[in-house]
Amino acid sequence: MREKNNFYKFILVRLPAIRYTLYAFLFLAFIFSQSNLFANEDTVSIGVVAPLTGDQAYIGIGVRQGAQMAIEDSNVKGPVFGDSKLKLIALDDQHNPTQAVLAANKLIADPEVLGVVGHFNSSCTKAASSIYHEARLVQVTPASTNPEISRQGFDTFFRVCATDDVQAPAAADFALHKLGVKKIVIVDDQTTYGKGLANEFEKKFKAMGGVVLRHDGITQGEKDFTPLLTKIKSLSPELIFYGGVYPELALLLKQSKKIGLGATWLGGDGIFDVTLIKLASPELAQGVYSTMLGVDPHSLPQAQDFVSRYEARYGEIGSFSAYAYDATNALIESIRRAGKKDRQAVLEQMRLTKDFAGVLGTLNFDSKGDAIGKSVGIFKVEDGKFKFIEEVKPA
Amino acid sequence: MGPDFQLFLQQLLNGLTIGMVYALIALGYTMVYGIIQLINFAHGEIFMVGAYLGLTAIGIAALLGAAVPWWAVIIFVFLFAAAGSALLGGLIEKTAYKPLRGSPKLTALITSIGVSFFLQNAVMLIYGAREQNVPEILPAKQWDVAGISISLIQLVIFGVSVSLMVFLTWFIKNTRMGKAMRALSENPEAARLVGIPVNRVIRTTFMMGSALASVAGVLFALNYGSVNFHDGYLAGLKAFTAAVFGGIGSIPGAMLGGILLGVFEGLGAGYLSSEWKDVFAFLILVIVLIFKPSGMLGENVPEKV
Repeated sequence: MREKNNFYKFILVRLPAIRYTLYAFLFLAFIFSQSNLFANEDTVSIGVVAPLTGDQAYIGIGVRQGAQMAIEDSNVKGPVFGDSKLKLIALDDQHNPTQAVLAANKLIADPEVLGVVGHFNSSCTKAASSIYHEARLVQVTPASTNPEISRQGFDTFFRVCATDDVQAPAAADFALHKLGVKKIVIVDDQTTYGKGLANEFEKKFKAMGGVVLRHDGITQGEKDFTPLLTKIKSLSPELIFYGGVYPELALLLKQSKKIGLGATWLGGDGIFDVTLIKLASPELAQGVYSTMLGVDPHSLPQAQDFVSRYEARYGEIGSFSAYAYDATNALIESIRRAGKKDRQAVLEQMRLTKDFAGVLGTLNFDSKGDAIGKSVGIFKVEDGKFKFIEEVKPA
Repeated sequence: MGPDFQLFLQQLLNGLTIGMVYALIALGYTMVYGIIQLINFAHGEIFMVGAYLGLTAIGIAALLGAAVPWWAVIIFVFLFAAAGSALLGGLIEKTAYKPLRGSPKLTALITSIGVSFFLQNAVMLIYGAREQNVPEILPAKQWDVAGISISLIQLVIFGVSVSLMVFLTWFIKNTRMGKAMRALSENPEAARLVGIPVNRVIRTTFMMGSALASVAGVLFALNYGSVNFHDGYLAGLKAFTAAVFGGIGSIPGAMLGGILLGVFEGLGAGYLSSEWKDVFAFLILVIVLIFKPSGMLGENVPEKV
């Protein structure tokens, strides 16, 4: 060890040429790291905020990649105005509302940021929305389905997906009238999303005359659900509605099989992910029903180009990558039309969005900023794939 | 035997299974605490890394073809994960904790939290953020004994955990290294004076604790069939609770604490509410600590941290 130290000392002390080269190198590295010294004054940025670390990182990374592709496509087309390049600023909110607020404050403080795509979780989107509203910064969420967010009356808020107002009743109606089940059990993962969806489902299902035997909660990140499933088995329900995301559902399916519980499972958009089938095995996932915001991008002719480019680059497409792509593109369109670095102008253009052609279909916003006419699709797992069953239009 | 009693026994068995895993992880917390009074928060992450190493070993075994019998694969997977984690545990001790020996206890504690974040994100970058499927290498056998179903994986969990606990107890009691560990936990200064190689003993303790955690990680992965880089957090927290519950620093305490925690959770979720499962487990911890602050089998020594 000591000899090694002497060796470095020798180089730095005895050979000034090497030392000064090193200093020059460090200096240049510092200069280049401060890239805005060289940047054009017209650099324009779009922020994307989603959970990029932690146990929901898989969804957040899919959102970031969707936004990244939209930015790169735009840069290939040319500068948004003048000769400015678009840049993506990706921030992590760890699906934690406190972090979401910090990220929002960081974005509004940066004058280059003209709009935000995010956040992912309803709790985060809601917490950050008032900050963007005060800063007159456009916020487009690709995935938050909680209907309360757009009822706050913020004109800066936009949403490209359907809300739980549409999803939960569609699921309840499908279970009762299409599957013909009467006695069910509900399990949720106790998050704003999972519990909200499950409660909405329970309300509708009961109102239509169904019987809910039990409504239980599980903890996200937990692995052992056999005690709960053993208890559910003794009630022998015809169907179990699950409000939550797919990693826990994969475990629920496996452990149900182990203890011999044979009910049908139905869940919301949080379980719509091919990884569910991989984790649970195609045999165990067979017959699981899921509602999904809109339809599978693989089945849309106008999305083929995007899906194949995405999958060639990043591998399997995330459930919300296409939403992030559409949200970012709609925002870029508004920035192009505004033609200047002015948040108010971008906001005005965003509100004027009409018949925007996204990969998931034509996009129009109502006065609350919610996408108009976004339908819900019902899918069933068959032979290792989510098979489209029917489309439910909003009432 | 009525169906209610059968249900009770089934829930008890489920609880014991997960309790064994908690106990194996808790041993690592308690051994390290016993020797250097450090609560090693990175220990849960070693458990998670062990599960991923097991997954890697299954992948390697699959390359060798189907000619290898399942028990040989299992043994290879355990050895691979244990060896890898032991090396990692030793490396972490050397790079992160040893330079801080002699500095305030809080410094090492915070460092261990940093190591925990580092390992989590390193695994996320290497293996990806999504849940990974663990191939089923055990035959899906299941037996019905008096109306209670026991699966092969449950038997493996019991067999492996109990043998490791028996081995560890023997090791601590009878080997030179085991005696050195006990001496060091009793009085580090005196141990140094009589010529016990303190650094080597500490390194060995870290390596053994890590190997135990990684075996627990492999058992966990095989039982639940999926692993995620975030799994170490909750399992580590539960095992830490188990170690405190049994009396931190005490080896039989960690075993007892782990098993009891698993049973409480299982029965709590089965008979009360699964939403309150964790609350139930932690409530019992609080009650035990009120009446016996050093934990069930812990010794009453003045607080050092």
